[in-house]
Amino acid sequence: MAETPPLITEEEFQKLADFLYRRTGMVFTETKRYYVERRIADRIVATSSQSFAGYFAYLRSEVRDEVEHLINAFTVNETYFYREDHQLACLTTDLLKERVAAKEPGDTIRIWSVPCSTGEEPYSIAIWLLENWREVDAYDIEIVGSDIDTRVLEAAAEGMFGKRALMRLSPELIGRYFHGLDDERWRILDDLRQSVRFSRVNLIETKDTRPQGRFDVIFCRNVLIYFDDESRRIAAENLYDNLLPGGFICLGHTESMSRISPLFEVCRYSGAIVYRRPRELRA
Amino acid sequence: MPLVRKPSSPAEMPTPDVRKWSKLLADGSDDERWDAARSATLLPDALAVLTDALARERVPRVREAIFTALAKIGSSESAAVALPYLRSDDASQRTAALDALRAMPAAAAEHLPQLLEDTEADVRLLACEIARWTPADHASRMLGELIERELNTNVCAAAVEVLAEVGNAASVPILARCAARFPEDPFLIFAVKVARDRIGSR
Amino acid sequence: MSDFSRKRVLIIDDAALIRTYYRSALETRGFVVEEALNGLEGLEKVLLQPFDLAIVDINMPRMDGITFLYALRSKELPVSGIPVLVISTEAGVHDAAAARRAGANYYLVKPVKQETLAQYAAVFCGVPR
Repeated sequence: MAETPPLITEEEFQKLADFLYRRTGMVFTETKRYYVERRIADRIVATSSQSFAGYFAYLRSEVRDEVEHLINAFTVNETYFYREDHQLACLTTDLLKERVAAKEPGDTIRIWSVPCSTGEEPYSIAIWLLENWREVDAYDIEIVGSDIDTRVLEAAAEGMFGKRALMRLSPELIGRYFHGLDDERWRILDDLRQSVRFSRVNLIETKDTRPQGRFDVIFCRNVLIYFDDESRRIAAENLYDNLLPGGFICLGHTESMSRISPLFEVCRYSGAIVYRRPRELRA
Repeated sequence: MPLVRKPSSPAEMPTPDVRKWSKLLADGSDDERWDAARSATLLPDALAVLTDALARERVPRVREAIFTALAKIGSSESAAVALPYLRSDDASQRTAALDALRAMPAAAAEHLPQLLEDTEADVRLLACEIARWTPADHASRMLGELIERELNTNVCAAAVEVLAEVGNAASVPILARCAARFPEDPFLIFAVKVARDRIGSR
Repeated sequence: MSDFSRKRVLIIDDAALIRTYYRSALETRGFVVEEALNGLEGLEKVLLQPFDLAIVDINMPRMDGITFLYALRSKELPVSGIPVLVISTEAGVHDAAAARRAGANYYLVKPVKQETLAQYAAVFCGVPR
């Protein structure tokens, strides 16, 4: 027989909402109230907490896994091609335009996707640029995908994907950049597979991040929000170090540097917030 | 189509030389001092070097990096280096110091008793936030003791704010007495009510 | 669907109860209220949505109120022109002067009565009595 989850009072809801807002920036409005209470009730049961009070104390003690579980209860964490494509659009419409303003044809543009998971994000960037950026031929584009998990990196290097991962891509795009192995699996073309370099990186370890070099644009989505305060600071400093002056960093669309680090400038492009390492002042 | 090339080797970034770090922290360019601060935890006399560097440093991101190094060390002594900056006249220094302590909560908590008794109200107020990072019962007890003797209403309000999150049954009469002592402070009355509601009867 | 007759106020303060206190004062008088808990989040919100007034604390994590003001005033219009009312615990003469220098329109010291806050908000937003 299923346990009856405890009822959560208005005050308890407010306490948790304030905690989550401070930690992650997530705002829970009245309309989401019932949905949120169900997720909290699930976590109370999952952690064998006797009450909301017990659960809240456990959460506050910053046992990292629990904060991550709670955040995951409210976010969709699937990875697929062209996820958050408004950021890809911002890349070609705004960010690269800024970056190439000081570059000559033939110069290098370096883009980092970290964490890259099973490769959907770095390969999406490659496909998007080929499809949407008129100047893609004019520059040498290097794309690097990094993750802490070597198993996903191996999968990324293999370049094989299922239907779900390709669900946002049109049949034309799939036909152009993948070859189908059977009804269920597609492999990204060798040319693309070989044009992304994958590396194992722990964002908190400067000895991992430093050798990746400096980038024009970094996509660092949906990872920093899980780190504790000390790790966020260190990761943010590493990311700053890996940006060229004037380079951009994009976080997940529910994330904000306001919970992470004061190092970056805030910019608005195409209705989205993007962060920037300050440009160098000319001597 | 091969317009997207596989990178052969990444752009090289210079690795700082350990022996030069102390000197770079003192004399280097902004970038050099920033690099040196990030690596300074490896120096044998790191704490002394970072303390001096922090006293001299005017560039915000280098100051941030020095504070991060102190947080990485994360000892009672390294927290002590950050503490004086809580008193700075410069708001950004106060913020930077508190953020640094936030990244070493256990080390910061070791100083909590004397911070909560500091002669400056501003410091006691920031100390209430530091109490939030300690276990709930500990924070409740310390903040309860503070409120009973505190004369500055903004400090009381900061303590009440944290008790709304961590307070327990023992906090309730303390909160009631506080509201009774300062009936003219509209925010404090409001905050005490919210805190009492949140602590509740469960 | 936005109501163009209602003024929009952004409250930037790291204390949740202060934000709740100001919110209740302003919403009952018809203002639309948004919140941010430090200067950086405040900056992001003003860049994404229009506001008639920002109420800003000084001591906040990641980006304090003074730094927020300098950053705000360096942006382009209309964002850079948003009226800013600073409400802080800092009671020193040099604190108010620093805020003015950074671009604050007015400076109040905590605690502030809800009625007082609403009156100042009405003045800054150009709402007739």
